[in-house]
Amino acid sequence: MIYLRLGLWLLRRERASGEWRVLLLALIIGVGSVSTTGFLGDRLKRAMSEQGASFLGADLLVTSPRPIETWPAPSVKNSKLKTSSLATSQALEFSSMVAKGDAFQLATLRAVDAAYPLRGTVRIADRPFAAGTPRPAQPPPGAIYVEPSLLPLLSASVGDRVQIGEAHFTIAGVVAEEPGQLGGVFGFAPRVFLRADEVEQTRVLQPGSRLTYLYQFAGAPDQLAAFSAALKSTLDSTQRLIGSREGVETLRGAFANADRYIQLTALISLLLSVAAIAIAAHRHALRHYDQAALMRCFGATTAQLRTLYAVQLLTLGLLGSLIGVAIGALMQQALAGLILPDAVTRLPSLGLAPVGVAVVSGLLALAGASLPALMRLIRVPPLRVLRRDLPPLPVAAWISAAVSGSALLVLIAWYAGDAKLVGVFVGALAGLIGVLTLLARLALVAGRGVQRMAHGPVRFGLAQLLRHRFDSTLQLGAFTLALFLVALLALVRSDLIAGWRQQLPPQAPNYFLVNIAPHQQEAVAAYLSQHRLKASTLYPMVRGRLVSKNGTPIAETLPEDARDTNTLRRELNLTWTAILPANNAVLAGRWHGDQRAAEISVESGMAERLNLVVGDQLAFQVGDQTLAARITSIRSVKWDSMQPNFFVIFAPGQLDALPASSIASVYVPPNAAGVLPGFVKTFPGITVLALDKLIANIEAVFDRIIGAIQLLLGFLLAAGMAVVIATLLASLDARQQEAVLLRTLGAQRAYLAKGLWSEFIALGLLAGLLASACAEIAMALIANRLFELPLHLHPWLWLALPLAGALLVGMSGWLTTRHITRVPPMQSIRELG
Amino acid sequence: MTPPDSAQFPAPAVIARALSQRVTTADGTLAILSEVELAVQAGETLAITGASGSGKSTLLGMLAGLDQPSAGEIVLLGQRLNDLDEDARARLRAGRVGFVFQSFQLLPALTALENILLPLELAGRADARERAAHWLDRVGLAARAGHTPRQLSGGEQQRVAIARAFATDPEIVFADEPTGNLDADTGARIIELLFELNASARTTLILVTHDDALAARCRRRLHLVAGRAREVTLA
Repeated sequence: MIYLRLGLWLLRRERASGEWRVLLLALIIGVGSVSTTGFLGDRLKRAMSEQGASFLGADLLVTSPRPIETWPAPSVKNSKLKTSSLATSQALEFSSMVAKGDAFQLATLRAVDAAYPLRGTVRIADRPFAAGTPRPAQPPPGAIYVEPSLLPLLSASVGDRVQIGEAHFTIAGVVAEEPGQLGGVFGFAPRVFLRADEVEQTRVLQPGSRLTYLYQFAGAPDQLAAFSAALKSTLDSTQRLIGSREGVETLRGAFANADRYIQLTALISLLLSVAAIAIAAHRHALRHYDQAALMRCFGATTAQLRTLYAVQLLTLGLLGSLIGVAIGALMQQALAGLILPDAVTRLPSLGLAPVGVAVVSGLLALAGASLPALMRLIRVPPLRVLRRDLPPLPVAAWISAAVSGSALLVLIAWYAGDAKLVGVFVGALAGLIGVLTLLARLALVAGRGVQRMAHGPVRFGLAQLLRHRFDSTLQLGAFTLALFLVALLALVRSDLIAGWRQQLPPQAPNYFLVNIAPHQQEAVAAYLSQHRLKASTLYPMVRGRLVSKNGTPIAETLPEDARDTNTLRRELNLTWTAILPANNAVLAGRWHGDQRAAEISVESGMAERLNLVVGDQLAFQVGDQTLAARITSIRSVKWDSMQPNFFVIFAPGQLDALPASSIASVYVPPNAAGVLPGFVKTFPGITVLALDKLIANIEAVFDRIIGAIQLLLGFLLAAGMAVVIATLLASLDARQQEAVLLRTLGAQRAYLAKGLWSEFIALGLLAGLLASACAEIAMALIANRLFELPLHLHPWLWLALPLAGALLVGMSGWLTTRHITRVPPMQSIRELG
Repeated sequence: MTPPDSAQFPAPAVIARALSQRVTTADGTLAILSEVELAVQAGETLAITGASGSGKSTLLGMLAGLDQPSAGEIVLLGQRLNDLDEDARARLRAGRVGFVFQSFQLLPALTALENILLPLELAGRADARERAAHWLDRVGLAARAGHTPRQLSGGEQQRVAIARAFATDPEIVFADEPTGNLDADTGARIIELLFELNASARTTLILVTHDDALAARCRRRLHLVAGRAREVTLA
């Protein structure tokens, strides 16, 4: 009890000491980082759980690319979608253009009946971002409800008239809230609700249009269970049955994975803080050997000293963790605003669970970092009061390593979740540390040459940098890591977007025209040539599902783990042509040409995924017809050619009997963009996909995600600064001694100050240069391996990073050490004893 | 555990029998203390003198239980130290043994008052704060209670250290070169204070010193030459 009180008392008396401050600062940064992501992740997860059934808008949802005509008895009477006991609702989702005047925008239309949604609430407001009132999602006749984001795209407001296909509607309100909204956060096309009975008059639905039929069910659990059990066997691979629990689980599973990676990013800041804490704790122990020895003289036992220092550590740990959590609570709101600008107000309030996780993480990090130093502290021999050179009894290196290592491993394992990810994370971390250490050492060796050329205080500053080699390596490594990650993220963003834009060859098609009805083909061609626009070939498009290979159901021909592929879950776009499209090349077999036989050509990636070879007989389900054909060639396709590309191309004539719409791509030069509004007005049912807008949309989503990660990297930079400060503090006594000597020998204050500035600016510049090099190399690898983008250097990076490094390291270094240039030599001598 | 040596009266505060300390170095074994015999009665004052490296501080540290001898036996305040481990020796010292050091050993973060408070708190004294204030007053520094060691002169720091040594009412005080870091005048005043407090508290005082004036104030003097003790009887 005494030692508990004494520990707190001594802590309070020493609260102004540099070590405690750095330790606390590092802990706050680390915990702030993990709690920011922890809070947000928890809020999102709870939002999903709390939504439950309202998430799907039903207890059970069936999605299908085709209407489902027959439903299993006995739950559904008369094989019609009417049941005696289950509530039902039906909706249809498709993409189309919405136009107002000369403005047009691709939207996702959901045509709903009066019962939609069966569960949850739809709130409709009369202006964007208002709270709205609960109303049925089905608008009044002649009206639509739109997502707030659509209005600025069309320069429209509530009450305006817009055109969808051949019909006109009034915007009667904006959707303020709808079931499942969180899941659609990153959707590209704004959603529009219209009446199911008014779809027909738009005339946008063509054979070959991509449609999703949504069937919702709600009712008693046992009936639902019986119904879904009976239903399951009747659905094919393109149709999905989602229970409310399942729906949430699926989304939560996907989310949990993303969440885990983000948490691990946050963990890097905590681990970097651990380095700062370890250094601060080590210096604290060094400076307290005398205190510990004295207390042993006064009668304190090992256990009592352990209590005393443990109390101090625990108090600091809790204090730092709680402040970190408070900062995390503020930062997560900023993060939520970046990721979910529209939904942030509807997220549940902050949960308590992440507080526990963050505090325990903070304490674990603190324990791992500082226990070895404290173990030495309590092993100080009391005889040290008489012989000050006596070191504490050594603690076996393996014990220190085991204590720190296991604490850190527990932390990493906790955040990574599974053994494989722990391995990958620890491996990557070790690799990164190895590379950074090596680079830092090399940079310091190079620095020796520069130092020889320098003179005066600059030479003195550089000498300091080279003399404290271990410290310099650590500082350089930590800061390089932080700058490197920040830079890499910026490069990925700018290069990827610029790369996509640059990759489009000049005059490559920049618009896709989708959903061209057979009777419009000639008119469209005429319109385009009248306006001197160069369009690709018109490809007919039929949607079909691959069902079998050589008579065996396709799924059964694949190993268990290969069955879950999009190629089987989705309906494929099938086309026919006699001429091998440009950007395609036959890799195996022979091109069918204009031979009118049941022959097909398959894209090489699909062939690889599904184990298809030339000679295989495939069957496709198109509507209620089955279409069989033999593979006569395997093709490579250049997917980024911006031409309509297809997985499966039939020989001419094979699809004639099937209803089809067509697709084409067209190049519209910037000065001819005025043609498009006219085109949309003339052919309102044809969907015009602007690649520019698509890229701009992706860019916007990218910016939001990257903004969020950059916020986390802010913690990493702060942790890097904490490492710099901690290492400088650890060398402060030695530096003060040198300063005393220099000043006694006649060095002026300005000389010392210049020396310090030279040292820190050099350190920051070096870190910036190393980070630039690392970022260029990493970006080159990413560009080359992942995205096949052309390589190029980023000169601005080599300027910006060293400058940022010099500024940040210079500031933190100067703030930590300026004291030694200001104190008179005599006072220094006294302070150092 | 050996019972207090009841054969003698008054009970000795410290007994050393055949005390030897050897350290092994690269060049062989070095004897720092050899066969030292010593008994200090309660209330006695003893000066340990000798040239640098003669083993004075080593002997002091062992008598105080801060270190273990290679051979021989020590009894401190009736307890045979050879039988006690590091922690048990610490418990024995708590509140019963005071220390004064050459380099004062005040904690820099604590004020003068708080430095005196520390051993009182460690000994669990209920009236710790009052006692600390009382002892600070006794050494004439009541006005400097809130000052940290950095703000005190060497002499003032040593006065705080002396107050700290006596504050717990110890039975024995060990002092290692208490004037070693002070000028002659200040040193003389410190000696005065030390003996005055010692006399009024009737504490056993064992000190190590180079200073003949200080040694002369003690009732007995043990002179060490190369680790061997020679008792000098003072006039």
